[in-house]
Parts: sequence; structure tokens; C-alpha cells
Amino acid sequence: MNELDHFLEAADQPERYGAGIKAGGTPVLGYLCSYAPEEIIHAAGVHPLRLFGTLESTIQADSHLQAYCCSLARGVLESALDGTLAFLDGAVFPHTCDTIQRLSDIWRLNTHFDFFADVVHPVRLDSGFAREYLEDILQRFKCELEAWSGSKIDDAALARSIETFNAARKRLDDLYLMRSRDPDCISGSRVSSIVKASMILNRDELPGRLSRLLEEIKAGSYRTGGTDDKKRLLVAGSLCDHPDFYSMVENSGGVVVWDDLCTGSRAFDGFIDPTGDHLKAIARRYFERRPCPSKHLSNTARGEALAAMAEKHKVQGILFFLLKFCDPHAFDYPYLKEYLEAKNIPVTLIEVEDSLPPEGQLATRLETFIYTL
Amino acid sequence: MYTAGIDIGSITTKAAVINENGIIGTKIILTGYNPSEAGRRVLDELLREYSLRSADLAAVVATGYGRNSADFGGKTLTEIICHGAGAHYLNPDVRSVVDVGGQDSKALVIDDRGKTKDFAMNDKCAAGTGRFLEVMARALEVDLDEFGPLSLRSSKPSRISSICTVFAESEVISLIAKGELREDIIAGIHESVAARVATLAHRAGVGPPLMMTGGVARNVGVVKALEKKLEIPVEVSPRAQVNGAIGAAVLAMEEASRK
Repeated sequence: MNELDHFLEAADQPERYGAGIKAGGTPVLGYLCSYAPEEIIHAAGVHPLRLFGTLESTIQADSHLQAYCCSLARGVLESALDGTLAFLDGAVFPHTCDTIQRLSDIWRLNTHFDFFADVVHPVRLDSGFAREYLEDILQRFKCELEAWSGSKIDDAALARSIETFNAARKRLDDLYLMRSRDPDCISGSRVSSIVKASMILNRDELPGRLSRLLEEIKAGSYRTGGTDDKKRLLVAGSLCDHPDFYSMVENSGGVVVWDDLCTGSRAFDGFIDPTGDHLKAIARRYFERRPCPSKHLSNTARGEALAAMAEKHKVQGILFFLLKFCDPHAFDYPYLKEYLEAKNIPVTLIEVEDSLPPEGQLATRLETFIYTL
Repeated sequence: MYTAGIDIGSITTKAAVINENGIIGTKIILTGYNPSEAGRRVLDELLREYSLRSADLAAVVATGYGRNSADFGGKTLTEIICHGAGAHYLNPDVRSVVDVGGQDSKALVIDDRGKTKDFAMNDKCAAGTGRFLEVMARALEVDLDEFGPLSLRSSKPSRISSICTVFAESEVISLIAKGELREDIIAGIHESVAARVATLAHRAGVGPPLMMTGGVARNVGVVKALEKKLEIPVEVSPRAQVNGAIGAAVLAMEEASRK
């Protein structure tokens, strides 16, 4: 088995992989988005497993959720209620959007996992007290984990976790940079599966696996060819759990060379200072990494960040890939469209639910947008 | 030099043949079950009518949802791009196009050369499309071609509030049961389609001069309702339904001239 197969397998069956970890004796906590402090979970000797929802029909979850909840909330709750996530020891709900915050209550009241925690992040990242507040929240989360696991999370364990996550994030950034320079080095759908798997795989093994994978890519093992005349695109949104989407973009004359996704570059953006107070350093990264639209840094922070990414990676157009009913992203879109178009960066919107829109309609949108670039 | 465009839509398949001097001819057939067969047949029949052979064609462009169903020997381009090119060919002053077809509606803004600048397309639901009208025509037992003229007689359009085609159909059935006039119900249906299309049009940023294309443009009731909603005149060419095929033929001509 080559290194890539480990990533593809984990991305394809996250629950099976998580259940395997649990069977091996390590407790597993599910988490909802890239604002979950994975480093602290890992330092407690617990495996953090990102939850992605389900592509199956949601049957039980709909009795607990309003129609305006996104397919991620719906799918995650469904997987908990139908037993798919039965191997979990619990879940961590970072407060990013309102839906995730409300989902956390519904989860707590309707499931019977051993551990449950809300990590209520600040909304305004530009306020002076926000950092202090988040440090306090992380401290509290650490105490909750300690009380549950019955063992202290010491500084040495936190330091090791920080190093592990820094190393993995650096390698994912290297992978993206490599592909931005040479989109033929590996297909977009594989890159998306690799990043997804990095939120599923054993984190202690992850930096090593990524290094070997990067070597395989450099050796040309996964070269695709044929992207020379394709338009360079950036995908922006919350999560994209559809590797096929990248192939459809490629078949429509484009190639995704970078992203601003919660299941993409936002998950590995930013570095944690390994020296000094570890919780302070973990908190600091959340202020320094690119924010998601549920956080406020300034009125134009996201527009500026997207424009800078587009320039750096010679992007010709931006595809906003939004989950239906994801209101933080949906509310940001009209301003971002105006802001980016004023900077001559064309954008288009693709709204999806758990599954992609019918192939014909999606292809028509993609082909038309790419043709206009 | 002759070129052809084939537009394989969800309900009808259209073909157009042009040369440097203008449109030679167009043809419309029902798509049926086999889109690639429909594409081939409509072109063959059209060529036969004008005593042309496929070898006479310098280029062919296929468009519509069935554009990739077979290899027609040339490029494939989306119907959005082709409707922009077609509308520009029919009237070079046009800057916005609203295309309402069988299962999709689209709004697009074009530049002074007919190239698409921005667009919006309906989501997967059939509200605001030809299929919506077909379902309602069946419920009302009225021939779809009668819809336009009948609706113009209405003085008090019924209110159809459901967006979903299936729910709207039951709403229409309730209106029939309540004894509302057929022309009022049809006018209400047209207003409902126009409202959906106007939403798209706003999202794409359309403005005058605006042309409506696609099969639904044949329905004068929808056109009038759309004019009212958008508060701008809506131009309709007699060739509205074959506009996508014409645009495809025009883009085939550009392609052939570049060679």
C-alpha cells in the first residue's frame, strides 16, 4: 500500500477508521469544525476525529432540526442517532455558527455519549478582551477533559501536540504550494481527500505520512497532466466533502489551485508558537489564522484575504462553494462578490446540500463561468 | 461557408444552419428519450430541407443539456454562452438575456460582442421553467399554446404562493375547485413564473435592452408578467425558441473563421 492509499481510505470511511482507533484502546472525540482545539484533545491522549455529516438520507435528524439547518448539522446528528458514530466517546462543539451552537444542545439532549463540551469562541477577534477570554475558555476546556479522563494534561504533552500539529500543518501547506506551482503533480480530488484524511488519521503518524506522501508526489507517482491550458481557480466556502467536484471543475476547463475552506487551507493555516505558555499560543493561532465568516476581524478582512490569495496563486476566478442554509457564508457572499469583482476577480456561486447538484446543471454553471474568464 | 448549431434541450431539440449572410434555416423536434439521436436527426432533417450535406458544414457546435450525449464533430458550449451569442446575433444592442427553457431558467448579462459577463441559473427545482407551465396546463386541461392569449383576458390574476411545482399544482386544483376563472388562474401562474425568473434576473444584474429567449418566450402572458415585474421592456424574437441553436451556429462560425 502506498502512502496515498492510507489517506484515501481514511477519507472514504472516516467512521471505520475512527472505530478502529477506538478498538485499539484510544478514546475518540468527534469535533465539528476547524475551531476545535485539536491540540488539547490530542495532548489528553484522545483522538480528535472531524465529523463530516453523511451522504445518506437523513431520517431521524429531521425531527430535531428546523428546515433551515445545513446538511452538515443534519448529517452529523443523523450519524449520531443512527448509531454510525456509536464508537465515539463524545464530541466537542466549537461555537462558530449559530447552527452548530444549537446543534450542540440537541446533541447533548438526544445522544448518550460519555463526554460533551462546548468551546465558545469569541465572535469579535478585534476586541482587546477576546484573547484573554479565549485563553480562559481553552483553560476551562482543558480542565473538562482532565476531569473526564482522570489525568492531567501537562506542559510536555501540550508541547508535543503543538509540535505534531505544526509539523502536519506545515506539510499540508507544502502540498498546497507544490500543487499551486504545478497543478499536474496530483489531482485536485486527491488533494481534497488528503486534507480531509489529515483530520481523521492518527495525528502522531500524520507528519511522517505526509512527508512520505510529499516524496511520492515529488517522484511523480500521481502526475495527471493536461492542466496547462486550464483556468486557475480558488474554491471558497465552508466544507467541501465532494472529491468529484474537483474532477468536474477539471472537466469543465478549470483547475482548483488553492482554497479557502474549513476542510481545506483554513484548517492548516497558522502556526502555534511552541515556546512560552501553550494555551496562550494555541489561542493566538485562532486570531492569526484566516477567519471564517462567523468571526469578525474587520469589515473587509475576508475580502482582503481572498484577494491576496488570488494574487499570490495567480487565480483567474473564485468559485464560492456554499452549503445551502449556511448563513455566515451566505450573508458574506453579496459583499464578497462586489468586493472581489471591483478588484477584477470574477466570482460565481455554487450552492450544495449533502450531495452535489445534478451533474448537468453543475457542469453548465462551471463551464459557463470558466468560459467567461 | 455554412455552420450549424444543435441545442439539445430537456423537452425539444433545435438546430440552426447559418452562413456569412444570415440564417439559412432552423428546426425544432421533441427530444424524447434519446438526446444524441434527437441531435443527429434534427440536423439531418434540417440539412435535407435545404439540400445540404454534413460535409458542407465548416463547423458544428452542440449546446443544451444533451450537448455531451454524443460527438457531433465539434465543440460543445453551454446554453448560457450560446443564448448570449444568439441574442447578440439577432439584435446587437441587447445587453441582457433571460432564457426560460424546459427545465432551467437562466439570466445573463452580455458584452457588446455577445460574450457572457455574468449569469444566474435556477436551482434544481423546476419552479419558473417550461416544465412548471406544462404541469399547470395539464391540471387546467388547456393547451399550452392557449395559455398566453387566455391570460391576457384576465383582470384579476389569482395568487399562486407555492414555489414548488407539485404544491403549486395542488394550489391550482384548489383554485379550480373554488371556481376561479381559468384565465385568472393562468395569469396567476404566469406571475408566479415571472417572479421566479425576475429573482434570477436581479441576481445576474440584468438591465435594458433585455431579450427573452427559450421556449417559454413564446408565451405572451409570461413575457408581459415579466415586463411588469422587472419594469423594463422585454424584447422577444420570433426565433426565441431556436436562439440557443442560432448562438451555437454563430460560435461555430467564429470557430471556423479562426481556422
